[in-house]
Amino acid sequence: MKDQKLKILVADDNPSDRMLLETMLGQLGHLVATAVDGQDAVDKFDPNTIQLVCLDIKMPRKDGWEAALEIQNIAQEKMIPIVFLSGVSDPEVLQKCLEVGATDFISKPYNPTLVSAKLNAIARLLVMQNMLSEQRDELSLLNQQMVHDQEVAKLVYERITHSNCLSDPALRTLHHGSHIFNGDVILAAYKPNGGMHVLLGDFTGHGLSAAIGALPLADIFFEWTEKGFVMRQILPEINKRLHNILPPNMFCAAAFIDINAHNRTIAVWNAGLPDLLYFSADEKLPRMIRSDSLPLGILNEHEFEANIELLTYESGDYLVAFTDGVYEARTKENKIQYNSALDPLYAGEVSTQQFEWLEKMLHDEGILKNPHDDISVLGINLSLAQDGSLQSKSANLEKRLDAPADFAFSYELNAESLKNTDPLPYLLQILTTVPELSKRSSEVFMILSEMYSNALEHGILKLDSKLKTTVEGFAEYYSSRESKLQQLTEGWLKIDVKVSAMNQGGCLCLTMSDSGDGYDISVIDFDDFDHERPFNRGLSLIHQMCKSVELSENGSKISVQYCW
Amino acid sequence: MIINQFDDAKSIAMLTIKGRFDYSCQQEFRECFGQYSKGTEFVIDLTEVSYIDSSALGMLLLLRDHAGGDGGKVTIQGASDFVSSALKMARFERLFTFH
Repeated sequence: MKDQKLKILVADDNPSDRMLLETMLGQLGHLVATAVDGQDAVDKFDPNTIQLVCLDIKMPRKDGWEAALEIQNIAQEKMIPIVFLSGVSDPEVLQKCLEVGATDFISKPYNPTLVSAKLNAIARLLVMQNMLSEQRDELSLLNQQMVHDQEVAKLVYERITHSNCLSDPALRTLHHGSHIFNGDVILAAYKPNGGMHVLLGDFTGHGLSAAIGALPLADIFFEWTEKGFVMRQILPEINKRLHNILPPNMFCAAAFIDINAHNRTIAVWNAGLPDLLYFSADEKLPRMIRSDSLPLGILNEHEFEANIELLTYESGDYLVAFTDGVYEARTKENKIQYNSALDPLYAGEVSTQQFEWLEKMLHDEGILKNPHDDISVLGINLSLAQDGSLQSKSANLEKRLDAPADFAFSYELNAESLKNTDPLPYLLQILTTVPELSKRSSEVFMILSEMYSNALEHGILKLDSKLKTTVEGFAEYYSSRESKLQQLTEGWLKIDVKVSAMNQGGCLCLTMSDSGDGYDISVIDFDDFDHERPFNRGLSLIHQMCKSVELSENGSKISVQYCW
Repeated sequence: MIINQFDDAKSIAMLTIKGRFDYSCQQEFRECFGQYSKGTEFVIDLTEVSYIDSSALGMLLLLRDHAGGDGGKVTIQGASDFVSSALKMARFERLFTFH
């Protein structure tokens, strides 16, 4: 640093003083330019070449102080030290020099040692200054690049995680990130057989590192829902994928909600989120759906289990879920604790518009302005939960060539396979290779799943659907379905499929037969389509969609014809 | 702040965490448990923890891995109501022993 060469502008109207300083500075190795007065100094000052200015105070045309101000003006952001040269040591004069921005003084007559020492100090200052401003420029460039990269990534990220049916009238969402990237994720997708899957997730941490896990999550969620897989199959798959790709300290607390509009039930799974609140129209206190599983991505696939709560809903029921950014609040002392502003909600004092209430609370409490965590709120108005499947497909109705198709196959499942496989997604995959059936995949899936669950639940497992008349019975029905299926040792179910599609129209014939004893088919009334009854609607549904429905072998065999 | 002690007689490492147990402890926490060999038994004292966030839950999972995963033993003690509600929300009682 001692060898730092500076380009110095010296302004002094006294020729001998000017020459003396010029010589001394030159001997120290610096490059010197000279000016004969203040105005001359201002004219000769170029902020790109001059690094230091030495000004005599009293000069004609423009004194040192005025010149100093103008030079600083020209230099703008560049830091150019100014040193005053003076024979006076009057404190007031020196104070004025400091006021106009002087870095130092050199008093006349010049003392070579002192001049050299002062210049060295100034040189060091300049080196430091340059280093800082270079670093600052570098940092701000890097930061600009990073922000740009993040914004591009954010766009891609949002397209992947938001391409869903969040705009459904039954859903209200609030999604507020504390960083560019949001570690919270809300996904919703229509199921091919009607109803909807909704997922609210909260990844460990905030920002990009938290958001990255949402990509595979969204991928599986949308793809598997579209293919007709159910919650019980999707959750282990998401868990497995996250467990494999995320580092061990990262996971995703989540709630998965499966809405079945046609039998008015919802299945809810909460793993690590604050209690979900279920508001019934006829009860004051909300029902709490507590976290009952470990968050996604922690357990390996063999340990993972999905403890799912099943509820039937009535018109007027409302479900609210949120991430812990809502549940926790920052106090004045900057401590984080339970957000007591939620008390009225838990106490059942908010009987309608719970989502709007929460939104207002977050706003009023200033939580949205200064979030300590990502914040997400999901409200589901179950009165509006429609059978969305039919409108869902219309969006991606593509014009495809209607190629003829003519094929048939048979799929037989025996006890072990019935236990472990859900044949429907695979069947659907084959059937949707026919463009016309692909367009109608929701109807096809619904027919298939109604036939399949009828055959499995009543034919093979011999469950009584009368159980489903009460809420307790409903849960019992599904838990005994589970246990009976696990204990199954014999039985078979056979599905025959035949498709013949010509250029105009076509027909899908499905026959499902099972090893069960059948039932009394004389009581079946296809036209008895009663929305208020939670059971026995399957057959009427099928009847509505199909050209013909035929029951034989005492109900253990059913054949339908679906035409278009 | 994290204080660590090793009980030679029982060969248990005891980590006492004070104040906020969150992202800011990441480095320190990892270094703390990293100095013990894999498979060490740990006791985590949270008596003086005022706040815990999800990255702390993540750190506990890392520690559990280090202690031997399913075969290891990690005990958590002294969690306040707020802290233990956060741990319960994530169902951590399945993975850790609570005292």
